[in-house]
Amino acid sequence: MDGVHDMGGMHGFGPVVEPGCELAYHERWELRVFAIQMLVGLEGLGAGPGGRAVREEMEPAHYLAASHYERWLYSAEQRLLRKGTIRPGEVEGVIERLKVGEAVPMHHDAATERILADLRAVYPMDAPTGDVRFGRGDRVRVKRMHPAGHTRCPRYARGAAGVIEGVRGADRLPDRAVYGGNVTPEPVYSVAFRSQELWGPSEDTPWTVLLDLWDSYLEPA
Amino acid sequence: MTHIHDHHHPRPGSAVELRARALETLLAERGLVSTDAIDAVVELYEHDVGPQNGAKVVARAWVDERYRERLLSAANEAIAELGFGGAEGDNMVVVANTPAMHNMVVCTLCSCYPWPVLGLPPSWYKSPPDRARAVSEPGAVLREFGLELGEDVAIRVWDSSAEVRYLVLPMRPRETDGWSENELAAIVTRDCMIGTGVPVARETAIP
Repeated sequence: MDGVHDMGGMHGFGPVVEPGCELAYHERWELRVFAIQMLVGLEGLGAGPGGRAVREEMEPAHYLAASHYERWLYSAEQRLLRKGTIRPGEVEGVIERLKVGEAVPMHHDAATERILADLRAVYPMDAPTGDVRFGRGDRVRVKRMHPAGHTRCPRYARGAAGVIEGVRGADRLPDRAVYGGNVTPEPVYSVAFRSQELWGPSEDTPWTVLLDLWDSYLEPA
Repeated sequence: MTHIHDHHHPRPGSAVELRARALETLLAERGLVSTDAIDAVVELYEHDVGPQNGAKVVARAWVDERYRERLLSAANEAIAELGFGGAEGDNMVVVANTPAMHNMVVCTLCSCYPWPVLGLPPSWYKSPPDRARAVSEPGAVLREFGLELGEDVAIRVWDSSAEVRYLVLPMRPRETDGWSENELAAIVTRDCMIGTGVPVARETAIP
């Protein structure tokens, strides 16, 4: 999806280094939102294409104005709504109760150990790679495309030529997989792009940008 | 010009915080999400999972050449040797800086980051300025962090577009001969492992 989340190369956002920028979070509720969003996923309470793709569907001005954890809150709530775990208007109803002084209730169950074990599990991209079209040193070009849904092919790389550095493994194409289709894993390549190819000339010494790209995004160059 | 940053966070008691508390309330009332599980996840990422883990990996690679080789060829396994691994570390790749090459990591589309070794990302890493500029003007971004690389140093920017998560293995400062692994780990900052910093042998850390 060619939304505002696809930020590579955009101008106008100002400096990276700002006071407080080194902190991972600023307020306690942000960490709780982080945990809730993780638990919505781990406990299967949500539906739709996953938190990340749902955040990309945010209205662009809202996405930019929202803090990182506000976006995560948005995606958790949306996914709960889409599954029917909560119904429209219920969050607003609870907000009114909290405003008049009600406390957030506690709920205890035995899920904690299982959830922590889930968070420690590792799922490598180790499916069979199938037909590997490209090898190290091959020149490839990123396809010109304009996908309306989730994609991991950043806009700034489309149409650019690069060189295969290696095969990372095999993975289901997210463009289809996040919507729940039956998708066969395909090779994911590390592809190196010269800065001049992506951005044209610069006063700085040329650099290299490396992307991990699914086979479907590429064609021979 | 209006600058939009992740850390323009709402005031305490803001509408967003209230909404977050309301969602937690709803899930707790229904018995769907346990308060203990939320506390445990918060505790895990606040205290156990963080850049102190990555620093141990780097320090081990600095003192043990065979570990370094394993780390660069099969990072998941090498990192697991030190007891680290989990969500957002499923496909680790470690990239080594050399006198001729400097690596830095970004996620232009999102905020992908190697949690098991670095914890949750700093605000700047998730912010529009870094996501926009790290790929299109990495030299300028590094200069903002106070890092001035020579013209003979090639910059490689890794944009975490798939499920691979990157850790930068910085160069060991020359002044650290004879330092213990723990002393070395103490100078490996988070930014060194994202590539927006380099380790400095601090006076206070000299044995």
